Amino acid sequence: MVKNKQNIAILIVLIFGFSLLYFGTDGFQAFTAEKARVNNLMKDHPIFPEVTLEDSEGAKYSFSKFEGKYVLMTFLYTGCTDVCPQLEYNLAQVHDLIPSQYVGEKIEFLSISFDPTRDTPETLKKYAQYFNTDSTAWKIARISNEEELTSLLNEFGIIVIPDDYGNFQHNSAFYLVDPNGILIEVLDYKKVEEAATIVTTILEEKVGRN
Amino acid sequence: MKQAIYGLILYVFLILPPVASLAESVMTIHMHMQMPLLVVVGFLFTPFLKQTFPNFFVQWNAKGVPGILLFMVITVYWMLPRAMDEALNIRAIETFKFISLPFFAGVPLRDSWSKMNRLWKSITFIFLTLTYGMIGILYILTPIQLCNNYLMLEQKTLGWSSLVTALCFLAYLILNVTIDKSKYE
Repeated sequence: MVKNKQNIAILIVLIFGFSLLYFGTDGFQAFTAEKARVNNLMKDHPIFPEVTLEDSEGAKYSFSKFEGKYVLMTFLYTGCTDVCPQLEYNLAQVHDLIPSQYVGEKIEFLSISFDPTRDTPETLKKYAQYFNTDSTAWKIARISNEEELTSLLNEFGIIVIPDDYGNFQHNSAFYLVDPNGILIEVLDYKKVEEAATIVTTILEEKVGRN
Repeated sequence: MKQAIYGLILYVFLILPPVASLAESVMTIHMHMQMPLLVVVGFLFTPFLKQTFPNFFVQWNAKGVPGILLFMVITVYWMLPRAMDEALNIRAIETFKFISLPFFAGVPLRDSWSKMNRLWKSITFIFLTLTYGMIGILYILTPIQLCNNYLMLEQKTLGWSSLVTALCFLAYLILNVTIDKSKYE
């Protein structure tokens, strides 16, 4: 009898353990919260909220300026010494890999700073010069209104943690927003060619449809 | 009974919101102090629970195997980077942490330990050495941020402290194998 109960207990524990790990990782898909975040974004497709952008030329406009075009965007702060320069350099490479007839016509590039106090238009302009941003199809901008910035970061699931030295730890990716302002892809920023191929395919499909 | 009271005091102390948020603000303290202390709470509750429900432990955990398996499952779950993050962002997962670690890890570990044979004790030590070692190497070598709530530097720190923990387990294992205990008894 006792032996029997012990076997039942082992079975229960194994089933419980399997379920815990299965549901805790969305079916062994997402072992980190970041992976779960990206999976959820791809499922939820959040809409880019109404925010006022101020770019490196000091021009102010809302996101609807990009209506009708795809936007490939990144989030950064210019004081960042590790990930952001890599992120922007890779975005520049994606920019160059996408067939030039689409750039500016069908797709624009946008880098958004989440550190509006330090990233003034002048700072952003200086920063943009390091990367191939003489392209008119690439804007680098800040969102000065804190509430608007927070709502965007929340919608897109971007976690920004300030550290004690004036730096931020943040998750990085390429975000592709479609002509209706809906987030449709979150791409690995380290895989430049893969990102360019995916974006180009989407653009070609769009052209094919029109 | 005295142990259960100490356990209760420790438990309440760990749950106090300022204590919990302080412990969770540093990754290494979260994983290597708060979580193990919750397991210790379970240790302290065990004699009281065994007294209150004697049949349950005798019948369902006779040789200690179900208990130790439950302990292993809970340990593996709380090693997932995602579980650490969600314990901070999702209330239900945080509640699960405060319940699962004492009652599904601490209690079964203490109850099982005295019942298990040498083989299962060794399996437990090898399991702990491997999981801590693997998580340590993973956190030290990975170039990406695994937990969204913690900085890369904290991740590396946790990696090293996990690896040191694994080495301690390993040292104990080696000692256990090489020392002839009969000489000292």
